[in-house]
Amino acid sequence: MKDITSERSAVRLPKWRGTKIKGGLSASNLSVLIAGFVLVFITVCAIVPSWIAPYAPTFMFSDEILVAPSLAHLFGTDYFGRDVFSLVVHGSRDSMIIGVSAVLIGAVAGGGIGALAGYIGGIIDAIFMRVIEILMTIPGVLLALAIAAALGPSLKNIVLAIAISSIPGYARIMRGQMISIKKRPYVAASRSIGASNARILFWHILPNAWSPILVMATIGLGSAILTGAGLSFLGLGVIKEVPDWGALLSQGRNYLTAGWWMATFPGLAITAFVLSINIAGDKVQDFANPKTSKGR
Amino acid sequence: MALFNKAFARLLNAALSILGSLVLVFFIIYMMPGDPVLSMLDPSTATPEAIENMRIQLGLDRPFYAQFADYFTNMVQGDFGQSLITSEPVLDKILLHLPATLALTLASVIFSIVIGVAFGVLSAVYRNRWLDSAVRIIGLFGISMPTFWSGILLILIFSVQLNWLPVMGSDSLAALVLPSLALGFVGAGFIIRMVRSSMVEVLDEQFILTLRAKGLSERLIMYRHALRNALIPAVTVIGLHIGELLAGTVVIETVFSRQGIGRIVADAIMSKDMPVIQGVIFFSAIVYVIINLLVDLSYSVIDPRIRKSAGTR
Amino acid sequence: MKKIIGGTKFLFILISLLLIVSGCSQSAAKDSQASASQSGGNPPAGGDLTYALATSPDTLDPHRSSLAVSVRAFRTIYDSLVVQDENNEIQPWLATEWVVSEDGKSYTFKLREDVKFHDGTPFNAEAVKYSFDRIIDPKTKALNSVALLAPYESAEVLDDHTVKLNLKSPSASFLSNLSQAMLGIVSPTAAEKYGEQFGKNPVGTGPFEFVSWTENAEIKVEKNTDYNWAPSYVKNEGAPYLDTLTFKIIPEEATRIGSVQSGQVLAAETVPPQNIAALEKDPNYNLLKVNTLGLPYTLFFNQREEPWSDVNVRKAVLQAVDVDAIVKTLYMGTYDRAWSPLTPGILGYDKSLENSWKVDVAAANKLLDEAGYKVGADGIREKNGEKLTLNYVDSSPNREKRNDIAVIVQQQLKKVGIAVEVNITPDFRSVIYENSDYDLYGNSMMNSDPNALRGIYHTPEETQVLESLVGGYDDRLDELLEQGTVEADPAKREEIYKEAQHIIIEQAMIIPIYVFPYTVAASNKVDGIVFDALGYPLFNDATVSQ
Repeated sequence: MKDITSERSAVRLPKWRGTKIKGGLSASNLSVLIAGFVLVFITVCAIVPSWIAPYAPTFMFSDEILVAPSLAHLFGTDYFGRDVFSLVVHGSRDSMIIGVSAVLIGAVAGGGIGALAGYIGGIIDAIFMRVIEILMTIPGVLLALAIAAALGPSLKNIVLAIAISSIPGYARIMRGQMISIKKRPYVAASRSIGASNARILFWHILPNAWSPILVMATIGLGSAILTGAGLSFLGLGVIKEVPDWGALLSQGRNYLTAGWWMATFPGLAITAFVLSINIAGDKVQDFANPKTSKGR
Repeated sequence: MALFNKAFARLLNAALSILGSLVLVFFIIYMMPGDPVLSMLDPSTATPEAIENMRIQLGLDRPFYAQFADYFTNMVQGDFGQSLITSEPVLDKILLHLPATLALTLASVIFSIVIGVAFGVLSAVYRNRWLDSAVRIIGLFGISMPTFWSGILLILIFSVQLNWLPVMGSDSLAALVLPSLALGFVGAGFIIRMVRSSMVEVLDEQFILTLRAKGLSERLIMYRHALRNALIPAVTVIGLHIGELLAGTVVIETVFSRQGIGRIVADAIMSKDMPVIQGVIFFSAIVYVIINLLVDLSYSVIDPRIRKSAGTR
Repeated sequence: MKKIIGGTKFLFILISLLLIVSGCSQSAAKDSQASASQSGGNPPAGGDLTYALATSPDTLDPHRSSLAVSVRAFRTIYDSLVVQDENNEIQPWLATEWVVSEDGKSYTFKLREDVKFHDGTPFNAEAVKYSFDRIIDPKTKALNSVALLAPYESAEVLDDHTVKLNLKSPSASFLSNLSQAMLGIVSPTAAEKYGEQFGKNPVGTGPFEFVSWTENAEIKVEKNTDYNWAPSYVKNEGAPYLDTLTFKIIPEEATRIGSVQSGQVLAAETVPPQNIAALEKDPNYNLLKVNTLGLPYTLFFNQREEPWSDVNVRKAVLQAVDVDAIVKTLYMGTYDRAWSPLTPGILGYDKSLENSWKVDVAAANKLLDEAGYKVGADGIREKNGEKLTLNYVDSSPNREKRNDIAVIVQQQLKKVGIAVEVNITPDFRSVIYENSDYDLYGNSMMNSDPNALRGIYHTPEETQVLESLVGGYDDRLDELLEQGTVEADPAKREEIYKEAQHIIIEQAMIIPIYVFPYTVAASNKVDGIVFDALGYPLFNDATVSQ
């Protein structure tokens, strides 16, 4: 399923770029352009932070504690005397890891459950959906909180906690897609010519069902990072030598009056990332929406 | 009769979900490292017997299923047990704190619907103009700001600088404003998106074009026909996000030092206070189920077409 | 037509929802108005003081509490037999005089005869006996008070206002411990009546009577108009000037400070260092600060395992950690650095330890080299293929920036080739006291007497089930701590504890970090808050001007 997803996105992305260029620079296209730039920049930060960060993120300038933004320290320094810009650049990696892996795990597991339940139906559907319903009655952050508390605050466990709490959303959407596509004439047609279940599922249904999952995943990327930040706030976030954005924001929140830059820049990093991913998500949605792209 | 059966089946489903969530949470907390008994006794003077006795007294020495069975039989009889830490009855504790959380949740829902629908409609009507972009960006900020950050910013601006509203507390209507803004901003962000896109779709549909052609006033078209259709996604979003909203209270109640079950459950998770955690999960599950029932009901109020085919979800 | 009906229905639902919300909140608003109008009055007498606490008290039952924040609240409700003054001398309070027997094993107290509990129960020898017997009764589930009361065995009522307390063995810290609020005298009638729920319905003889406790919101007490037996700390012997005192529970730092700055509360405790400077400059606020007494915030080595069982490796860490930098960076000069296992001001504190060692990275490296740890390719030392890692455990949430100390120590020790793994967990109790799964762990303790050292540094008694913090002991230290417990002469005790402090530092059992100052930011309308020897606030003299 994962393969198909990436194959489809590989097919689709160039087309999307094409429409953007043709469209000229309207307000909406400008925002897409900026969003794209932000996403590329953050990705570069996450992969090779030391190319961009001027200092080591853990280095403490002991004589420059809580220094306001300046040319030497673009985002100022925090209460340890660490360069906030370098911290934000290096922190992008763990934030990306939290976002991307939680979404991947949640979407694959949730999408898988939803696809099976929707396609097979009957008792399997009933059982799976019961489980999903149970997960849904427990508020997501609470579930993540309990799992994080039970497993301990490592990066891996936080990712798992966030991923599990996002499963129900994907499962429900996927199941809905399955059920509606299953009934479409072309599926019945291919069944009548003797196509196997697997072939129908992977060839005819999944390719037509994944677009809402993709839209949801882009939004999920942002909310995973936000959930991680919430866990940091509650004292159950990831504790690492180089803090992720959520942890940085959480550390800085008590310094808003003494050094506004400490919380503001990591916060803006989260916001900029989530904003950009959502703008990209909107674009994907516009594009993936069958009503607007009839030419498939 | 058919209606009755349907209602009964729904109720049964809801009960099963709630039972399932209780088992699941019980299991997760059971897996948690740590021992509540240690926080109840003084480490420097406690004897092994005292610790063992305490475990037996609380039933913590027994296997998982037996502990749950005990808990469940008591719960069915209306006994939610006592907090392991403060030995208060859990039911009292929850009933004391639930109203504040409900007030916060409700105020946030109302705020997010009002702002979300108004801005969403504006955005759709002025599609692709600067107002649209501005509104969408505001909405996206709602989605993308961690609530503890926006909450503290609201405090600094409206309470410390302007001194318009109280910083904290849950004892007045004024104290409800900032927390529900902080929490409702998130929902508003989602609703703006949903309402905008469905309004855009509706406005392009044949029947609106027909109405326009008939010469109906733009305002009438907007309010009577388009908006009604746009409300459906708003309500759906609320239904889907009510769980997140309830969970969001954990953070918001801490930031604004409000009473509420969010704070209680966060504390309880940290101290492995099982009866309290279970009690809160039970009640929030009930709230979740009720809200979703209301959401389903409101569909048929908003859209008569759904009323006829109700139940086919 | 049909559609319009649908619309009005929806509107109707919305409106009724709104009404429900406003209905709920209106009634709540009325309540708060009523309480506000009650609290009018002329300064200095009268008024309501709102005082923000940084954490939530666990219980208002003094015998079952384990938190300093609870003491801050219930110190107003309970009195003690004696009080310890600024010079660590014991002064009368509920007891007017006392005699210690020759063998030091029994204390006979004469009690005040004019004292009543808030519920009308007379304060007498029975009440004292009841309170102390209650603590040692396992059914009470008493916490810190058990250790404070030890080695108490029994009480005899000699007459209505004379009580004799018998100890299993002499204890030089007994009187000092009796001065603590956790050994406050509770009303026997109320304690019997409420049982388990006494902590929510506290009754004592203190200057304030309990009114209400709304969990996670506030604790309200009102003045005890009969009060006439204040301790020596305060000027006002009689009933407090305030009508009511409301403790608001506001854990979030920014919110707590914001609520003082906006005037929603009149005073707030535990002011974060980054806000102290601004508040000190502001003429609208007074910043009160008092150093607490007891054991400072200290990092304890777990000496059970290699290499931390080796005194030289511990010494290397002690010399590599720049405590001055930590205190200067995190607390911006508002906290004092600690040098000893005891805080300044406590009996026997050894001033000569101050500045007795310096940060010396070269010496630390040399010690580690000698211990056989060679610097590896990644800059981390190793011996026999095993990396030199230090498991630093701290508790969550991040109180007093303690988690941030771990962050700095991690960087400082990297310079000498030690990899610090920071492990922050809300479940520190089982990690530390049950599994001893740590190399370094930080803690502090408020106490009035140096005998508190014994619970940590003395070889544990066999009955003790939970692990001790240090896990490594010293014969001479054991001997000194035993002597310190029974020695009656304060001058000799001072010498004993000085030697004990030296041993603990020489053995590098700990890294003392900071002395916690209790800070309060108060509006300039507030006057007369004073602090006792341990640093707990007293409100007998407090006034609020309009």
